[in-house]
Amino acid sequence: MLQARYLLVGSSHAALEALAAIRMHDAEGSVLLATRDAAPPYSPTVLPYVVSGKSDAERVRLRGARYFEEQKVALRCGSALASLDTAARVARFADGEQVEYERLLLATGASPAIPPIAGLKQVPYHVLRTLEDALRLRAALGSARKAVVLGAGLVGMHAAENLVNAGAETTVVEMQPQVLPGYFDAQAASLIAQAFGQRGARMLCGQAVISAAPRGQGFALKLTGGERVEGELLLVATGVRPAIDYLAGSGVAAERGILVDRRMRTSVANVWAAGDVAQAASFYRDAPVVNGILPNAVEQGRVAGMDMAADPGARDFRGAVPINTYHFFGRQALSVGVDAIEGGETHVQCDEAAGRYRKIVLKDDRLSGIFSIDAPFDPGIMVELVLRRVDLGPVKQAFLDEPRQSARRLMSQLWR
Amino acid sequence: MSALPQARPQHVVCDGNEAAAWGVVLSRPDMVAVYPITPQTSLVEALAQFAADGVLDAEMVAAEGEHSVLSVLQGACLAGARTYTATSGPGLAFMFEPYIRTPGLRLPMVMSLVTRDTLSPQCVWGGHQDAMSVREIGWIQMYCETVQEILDTVIMAFKIAEHRDVMLPVNVCHDGNYLSFGVCRVDLPESSGVDAFLGQPDTNWHVALDPDRPMGVDPLTGGGGGPGPALFARYRKGQCRGMQNALGVIEDVHRGFRARFGRGHAPLIEEYRLDDAEYAIVTIGSMTGAAKDAVDEARRLGQRAGLIKVKTYRPFPLQAMAQAIAKVKAVGVVDRSVSFGWNCGPLHQDVLGTLATLPQRVAAVSFIGGLAGADLTPAHFARALQTTAQALAGAPPLAPVWLNEDDR
Amino acid sequence: MAAYETIAFDAAKCTGCGDCMSACAQVKTGSFEHASSRIQILPSANDGFELALCRQCGDPGCVSVCPAAALEKDGTTGVVAWDGTKCVNCLLCTVGCTYAGIAFDARAGHVTKCDLCGGDPACVTACSEGALRHVRSARIYSHYGELEDLFVPGLSGCQGCNTELLIRHVLRAVGPETVVAAPPGCIPGMGTVGYNGKTGTKVPVFHPLLTNTASMLAGVRRTYKRKGRDVTALALAGDGGTADVGFQSLSGAAERGEEILYVCVDNEGYMNTGMQRSGCTPYGAWTSTTPVGERSHGKAQEAKNLPLLMMMHRCAYVATASTAFMEDLYEKLAAAIEAAKHGFAYLHIYSPCTSGWRFPSQANIEVARKAVETGFVALWEYTPASGLRFTRSVDDLRPVDEYLEAVGKYRHLDAAQVAHIQAHLKKDLGLLKELSARGAQADPRALAT
Repeated sequence: MLQARYLLVGSSHAALEALAAIRMHDAEGSVLLATRDAAPPYSPTVLPYVVSGKSDAERVRLRGARYFEEQKVALRCGSALASLDTAARVARFADGEQVEYERLLLATGASPAIPPIAGLKQVPYHVLRTLEDALRLRAALGSARKAVVLGAGLVGMHAAENLVNAGAETTVVEMQPQVLPGYFDAQAASLIAQAFGQRGARMLCGQAVISAAPRGQGFALKLTGGERVEGELLLVATGVRPAIDYLAGSGVAAERGILVDRRMRTSVANVWAAGDVAQAASFYRDAPVVNGILPNAVEQGRVAGMDMAADPGARDFRGAVPINTYHFFGRQALSVGVDAIEGGETHVQCDEAAGRYRKIVLKDDRLSGIFSIDAPFDPGIMVELVLRRVDLGPVKQAFLDEPRQSARRLMSQLWR
Repeated sequence: MSALPQARPQHVVCDGNEAAAWGVVLSRPDMVAVYPITPQTSLVEALAQFAADGVLDAEMVAAEGEHSVLSVLQGACLAGARTYTATSGPGLAFMFEPYIRTPGLRLPMVMSLVTRDTLSPQCVWGGHQDAMSVREIGWIQMYCETVQEILDTVIMAFKIAEHRDVMLPVNVCHDGNYLSFGVCRVDLPESSGVDAFLGQPDTNWHVALDPDRPMGVDPLTGGGGGPGPALFARYRKGQCRGMQNALGVIEDVHRGFRARFGRGHAPLIEEYRLDDAEYAIVTIGSMTGAAKDAVDEARRLGQRAGLIKVKTYRPFPLQAMAQAIAKVKAVGVVDRSVSFGWNCGPLHQDVLGTLATLPQRVAAVSFIGGLAGADLTPAHFARALQTTAQALAGAPPLAPVWLNEDDR
Repeated sequence: MAAYETIAFDAAKCTGCGDCMSACAQVKTGSFEHASSRIQILPSANDGFELALCRQCGDPGCVSVCPAAALEKDGTTGVVAWDGTKCVNCLLCTVGCTYAGIAFDARAGHVTKCDLCGGDPACVTACSEGALRHVRSARIYSHYGELEDLFVPGLSGCQGCNTELLIRHVLRAVGPETVVAAPPGCIPGMGTVGYNGKTGTKVPVFHPLLTNTASMLAGVRRTYKRKGRDVTALALAGDGGTADVGFQSLSGAAERGEEILYVCVDNEGYMNTGMQRSGCTPYGAWTSTTPVGERSHGKAQEAKNLPLLMMMHRCAYVATASTAFMEDLYEKLAAAIEAAKHGFAYLHIYSPCTSGWRFPSQANIEVARKAVETGFVALWEYTPASGLRFTRSVDDLRPVDEYLEAVGKYRHLDAAQVAHIQAHLKKDLGLLKELSARGAQADPRALAT
């Protein structure tokens, strides 16, 4: 049986950030990092760019072998966590290995959620969560003339853009009435959908797939609206769910994700969780949320790592804030916070012709959310304004007129 | 050192403070730090004027108080300077903290102590109480009798202090009022002669604040265990040895001064008409002149009276004093200060201590007089002699005799 | 994180001319469009200017959130480098940065950030006002590292005390032609003067009395000057010996213009002997002689403002400094060393005491920083020619509670005491501000009334 003071399961942002935080305080404690991925550490977020060819699959690794050597980390790739005996503090892996740990971080991320569609199992389809998925999809890209993307989240929209650019006739099917639900408000979403439409993509919102069936080299889908859609390439991108199958019998409490407190501690001693797998405090609501975005994973990984190493500088997780940056067809969409809040006030500026859009949500002169398309601001500053509950009262009009400059000014004055 | 004006008078008419200042000029210190205090003030003023006129080429530090005066000089001395200051009564009290430290650092400073009675009662006049209160601190103390002796002793004091067998600070004490303001003709020795007599300043060969010879000066020493306490004891013992060495050095320096300048003073103890005396009085400082007159008068009346004058009080010249006292059967010790704990004068105590080293019994009477600037006249000393003579026959008074008690 | 290099901005010197932005845009894009500049100067609400620029962070957030490994901190230069061949334009880096140090440039079509121009930033060269400075902390530290450490190894200060850092760096900068006075207190207590005949310092060092540091040094300096040798007279003293029992000699030496470099390490009390109050102990603070009990609740009086008192002596140089702002301290040290060649230079350095102030030993620099950020300690310098000048703005201070809560000696304070401290701080800062506004015209003595 292997032994480690720190066992980190997962190899993406949450685990890597936790590792960095641990090493800041404990330079020597043994660390074992295990991941189900065969490939060295990479970010799921980069995968659409591997698909498009913008990223070289060989150059997306977040840390090299030398880094792990320098940090004295034992690395085990291709080793998926199978079960946990939290009483004995032993983790069992699918490849039969067992690790006795003192402190455990679960940063196992999420897996694609496949919708229960009749006949889907008989149809060849793609998902996009691992590097293998990305390479497979990239290989298929060149030959497909007609493609369908299920789900208009970030993964689906990125893939759809790739397919459009590859010359495929592309259809996007989304159950919700808008694209990018939960990321952008309806007005912004409609501007984004328009951009896809202008480039020949069909955006079918408010429709679900009733059934799927093979058709020749490809497939045929039947939609709730009665329409039938055919194609050779099908991507299922209807979201992800935390990868927590291994929790059975472990005693670690979970709902949608693993429940953690503000130090990323789970319900079981010596076990922490962070990133897409964790269900943690929200900045806006009492109930904990799964906020599966990269900056969130980094923040949680940092909090968990410091707490695991008993770093006296450890601080509480300040609560999840939705943040998204989205680059499409050379344009940029940004979102920070929530697009509606009780008792809040909303200020919208929209130039339909230019495709520029900005929405600011304030409550009690504090920023609750800000969204834009082609109206740049600094999301990193905005999220701090939200988290610090900075009083914008004295500069309110300037902020509404010129949020980017006003926020930078506030940053320069306040962050010292 | 820059050249000083060469045209220099061979003698001047001045008071004791100015005479001390002339002694300083001739000794060519590198630094003089002062703070004015009655009755030393005219000494400070004289030095300031000498510096202003270029007669004295020294760093002049007009410090903000006596505490700093001595502190500045300690720093200077540790950096290799020959240093001088002067103070009195309350000034001495205020500088006590650095004062008490100077002998332990073995810094060869010279300080004129223009003696003054201590407070309270509030008093600005002469008396030895200030000097006597610091007699056990480790400074060498020499008491002058005349204005000339002040000048000469200031010069000699540098040579004594800087002697490598001594390396201790020297107080040249001269009485407030009677010597500080008493005007006489004094002879000035040749400047070149004084230079040759004193040689170059030699103040910090043993302990220095010098980047060329870095060392920790006066680190913590002592404490339980380790080499500390033994080291501390060695330092203390060395300091005692320096004090005892000073007795011989003081004699040598006085002898050398006489040989070079043709004028001299008793180095430790002066015996006056003592060889065939039956009894004697013991004096210290400027009172001695009137006392000698009283002895002469007693002799004229056929009494076998004598006198013992103390010049060097610390280190106490035990041997010289014992030799002197051994010649008589009774002594009367006239102190210009008080030992409160012993109900007598401090010099009287030293005499009592000396008596213990003699095989024969010598009667001793304590006289206290001249406090707060009171004049000690030949009449006072006649009374002292008479009382001492009476002690030959019967029991000497146990309590001190207060000489000015009934003055009007 | 071995190296740290950045561009420092002195808002007080900025005129908003925009030359830096033109220079940056020109060098990076060939245009003069300020929008394409990686350094952004913004007019602020109160007539001043603010800065948005990459800080080349030691632990950069942009790198942590980059999914494409396109950002990396160079371990040698300290520059956070952007690799265009890896960047996927996801813009997540703009979420990771809270300084707007990396932002999307529509003209370029990708994010851009400052790369320090390979070590010779064009904006700094272009700034004729001296508002921008290329700061190479790593090189400053290695510069200090190259200077000889003139204390022996193994001084035994309390865990977490910043004084050893302070005195070693000061003496490195002052150099070997120095005589060091360390009056009784923490500094000799940690062994600088040595024990039992052994020294703790490679230059001459001594224990003055607690009362006469400035006087003894005056004697040393004057003697060497008379001998034609330039020897620095350096005091490394605590606040007790400086403000209380040593104040007379300090004041006298300052008044006489003695050429001394006097460094007061202010830990707000007699900490070496077990935390007794001094004249520098602030109002409300617990010490062993201002205890907390039924009838008393810490010190009942304000602290003496010692640096201000020294300014009133019109010394050649007076400054306050903090170990949380080392570069500021270094600059002031350099100015003080220079000033001590012709007059009295007084440097007042705040030194939080881990043992006596009751806070965790690792929090020293944090406490020092909070003191400055809340205005409890103001950083300024004074010369007779230019008057008093803040070296760090005292506008937009953080609430003083943040400082008081970080220090255990204030744990007992009630609301009234906190309000008292706030009011007093405001008054003190008001006086400093007035002095600063009047500049060299200010006669500190006239203002004192």
